[in-house]
Amino acid sequence: MSEAIVTVGDRPIREVNKEIKAALAEGNTVTVRDTRSRHNLGVGLPEGSHLKFEGSVGYYCGGLNNGAHIEVERNVGWSVGEAMASGEILVNGYAGMSAGAAMLGGLLHIRGDAGPRCGVAMKGGDILVEGKIGYLSGFMAHAGRIIALGGAAGACADSLWGGEVWVAGPIESLGVDSKVVEPEPEEIASVEELLAGRGLADGSRDWQKIVSAQRLWHFESRDASAWLMI
Amino acid sequence: MCGIAGRILNASGKVGADLVSLMEAQRHRGADSTGFALYGRPLDSGYIVRAMSPNREALSVDLSTFEDILRQHGSDFVSDPTWDDSTTAHVSVRMIIKDPKDFAAWSHEADSISERIEIQSVGRSLEIVKDVGGAEEVAEKHGVRDFIGTHGLGHARLATESSVSPTASHPFWARPFPDIAIVHNGQITDYYTWREVLEQRGYRFMTYNDSELIAVWISDQMSKGLTQAQALEKSISEIDGVFTYLISNTETMGFAKDRWAIKPLVAIEEHGEMAVATEEQAVRMIYTGEHDIINYDGPSMTKTWRIDSLREAA
Repeated sequence: MSEAIVTVGDRPIREVNKEIKAALAEGNTVTVRDTRSRHNLGVGLPEGSHLKFEGSVGYYCGGLNNGAHIEVERNVGWSVGEAMASGEILVNGYAGMSAGAAMLGGLLHIRGDAGPRCGVAMKGGDILVEGKIGYLSGFMAHAGRIIALGGAAGACADSLWGGEVWVAGPIESLGVDSKVVEPEPEEIASVEELLAGRGLADGSRDWQKIVSAQRLWHFESRDASAWLMI
Repeated sequence: MCGIAGRILNASGKVGADLVSLMEAQRHRGADSTGFALYGRPLDSGYIVRAMSPNREALSVDLSTFEDILRQHGSDFVSDPTWDDSTTAHVSVRMIIKDPKDFAAWSHEADSISERIEIQSVGRSLEIVKDVGGAEEVAEKHGVRDFIGTHGLGHARLATESSVSPTASHPFWARPFPDIAIVHNGQITDYYTWREVLEQRGYRFMTYNDSELIAVWISDQMSKGLTQAQALEKSISEIDGVFTYLISNTETMGFAKDRWAIKPLVAIEEHGEMAVATEEQAVRMIYTGEHDIINYDGPSMTKTWRIDSLREAA
């Protein structure tokens, strides 16, 4: 496999993305340079793509991912991997708001902290955050797993519909209609297996598994006051 | 969706050019109108007045009425007013005036002809320049790039709640407090409730823009003795909506973010200087290469940067 280099600079993003796709189609591993925190880079890439962004990228990087392996050297802006179906995205720094929004499958691995609403409306796959997940993380998620090794900010798993939020470390507060349950040994084994595969094995973690309390599943308007956060 | 920005230099410099770059990088967030709040070297006495008249043809008549009101309040023009030489019907005017005897009383009376000449800022240092169009267009028309100063704010507007017009553009001056300006990204959902309360307290609104409400609300709080930093803090629990706004005066710049953490804010602070904006790619127009980025992403956040201490730290 040969290596190709694509430079972003101040070029139109559509042109850059076309060049990325063309280089990947030729079987290259692509390194993207001079990224300048610009938006919409590397969207909708297919299986077998290997792509690395130098520096930081802006919003929606790796969105609609369809099997590509994407790495970002530093930070990402809003909604990295939005609606990703499969593949893997590794962010070495901080991920802005709504990381993995509406994700369907695959793995989003964030080595730093994640901003508010990480995994919002998530429908499948795994989000692994080595740092802390932000305010309202897991908001209205339907399925999938969010795993945070460095704790969670306020309103964690607010209005969780389905899926799971796993937190090692302190949780500032739980959101509405979510509850902490005792995980089964085989569930812990599954989470630890994922972590071991990422070089993060540590049997001593004290897990809090959060799931939906399912009261919102049968919403009655007369109960509306129970859901007002403030 | 709108884009906001702030810039602090550690010494007087091309703050206008930096703010144009910050806004040009965020033009996709809204190009209905663009505006700047610029802080130059403060006058020892007197004020710089920035104003807009909807009718270029009637400008000389309107300016003489404005002058009459100034004289009634013990003030006057220090030099002849200047204005943009474009062909648009509306015209932006810059005036330097002597201190009125009672600033608030003069400001109140001057606003009585706001349909002819609407004051957009008054300050020893502050000058608000705003117009319809994108950053490039507004900067070109009003010579913003040439502005020398220490700090300032920028705004790119995508109108969501009220009309697009030169006067409904941001920034907004916190009348009648000299040198205070705000820029805002968001929507204020209890706008009419607050507007009614503030009108009953005697405040005037020049537009139906919800961001003007923040400026007026801040004025009300400061008239009750709150500092800018205290007012920022209080706005989070008192004003409803999704918002991130920046506020500045001659000595400080600050921001407040709502309880929902919806609107982002990103900063790079280095060597006693600072650039802050809605989007990271904007601050990177000022600081090229790799830098430590601060993401103010959480809920209910405020911060105040001191212009003086930044200068001292440099």
